Amino acid sequence: MPHINYRDKQLSFKIVYYGPGLSGKTTNLMYIHQALEKDRRGDIVVLDTAEERTLFFDFFPLELGRIEGYSVHFNMYTVPGQVYYEASRRLILEGADGVVFVADSHEGRMADNVESFCMLQTNLTSFGLDWQRFPLVLQYNKRDLVEVLPLGTLERELGLNGIPVLEAVATAGTGVMETIRTVSRHVIQKFQL
Amino acid sequence: MGYPMEQRDCDFSRILQQMIDKTNALTALLVTKEGISVAEAGDTSYLNTTAMSALVAGMFSATREVARMVGETQFSILLQQGENRHIHIGLIADSKMLVIIFEDFSRIGLVRYEARRICPQLEEAFRREASSDSREAKIGTPLFKEYALNLIDRIFETK
Ligand SMILES: Nc1nc2c(ncn2[C@@H]2O[C@H](COP(=O)(O)OP(=O)(O)OP(=O)(O)O)[C@@H](O)[C@H]2O)c(=O)[nH]1
Ligand SMILES: [Mg+2]
Repeated sequence: MPHINYRDKQLSFKIVYYGPGLSGKTTNLMYIHQALEKDRRGDIVVLDTAEERTLFFDFFPLELGRIEGYSVHFNMYTVPGQVYYEASRRLILEGADGVVFVADSHEGRMADNVESFCMLQTNLTSFGLDWQRFPLVLQYNKRDLVEVLPLGTLERELGLNGIPVLEAVATAGTGVMETIRTVSRHVIQKFQL
Repeated sequence: MGYPMEQRDCDFSRILQQMIDKTNALTALLVTKEGISVAEAGDTSYLNTTAMSALVAGMFSATREVARMVGETQFSILLQQGENRHIHIGLIADSKMLVIIFEDFSRIGLVRYEARRICPQLEEAFRREASSDSREAKIGTPLFKEYALNLIDRIFETK
């Protein structure tokens, strides 16, 4: 459920980038942030370690615009991918209206992708959400690598049917806007008062 | 109860402003646990309140986990002492945070006292708001969605 402030006529949705460590979540968010017009976006907050690994979260607010008198916002977050930050991931995921799962296309990362996705499922279920009906898109990032997982591998392994799938090279911005557009559209379509 | 609309609208800000006047604090914010600022008072010109709210909510949920680890359900107050500015964060009705930024640390007792004192007033204001019938059904309608989808296509267009 998005956060609705009837007094100030504000509607805020939360979008979370989830996935294994180093899959490119922060790179996705940074690209979107710099691609947006300045008056639409707030400052980006990056909480990372000295090695630029996300420690707690990255965040920026985006103002979509005014609709029917309401000012509609999208608050964008990334979670830390490293396995031992599970508690932080849960906290950030709570209250999400839509999730982008950023998978690492590197062949050797198959097991990490699967493990991370299973944790996502477990967490969404524990929040009382039906993850099969939840706005969720799968991004195969790092398509520029030489040996990449063929599309369909993860869906088959995880038994995913009908989930929107996109290819990306986040470092070059390829597929990044398509991904955020796809998840945002799903969030709006599923939105009910 | 019987409040005219405008008066109800500024309830939160009025309560926060009174607290600022009494404590001489710099800024006060009311933040939801989702990280959204719902009311502000005092000087906010130096502060990115959106980012601040997201961070404070993150801090509070992290603190809740820390509390659980030591067998508490939650720490109700967070206090950060700086060189020149200090932050007092208190939990309200289990779902909101009252953030007070102040400069004179010797006033910490007063800040803590006032934060506790206005708690019931804020809770009451939240209850009034929840029961007031200012809700409109304009959001979530097919037309609303169509507008939103158009905006999304425009804003996230591929360059
Ligand atoms: N080759 C290639 N490298 C990428 C791509 N996207 C991101 N990277 C690189 O992968 C590394 C990790 O990217 P991040 O965006 O920090 O990854 P993350 O998912 O936020 O990682 P954590 O915060 O630790 O969970 C960086 O060195 C990026 O430059 C891509 O599409 N192709
Ligand atoms: Mg990161």
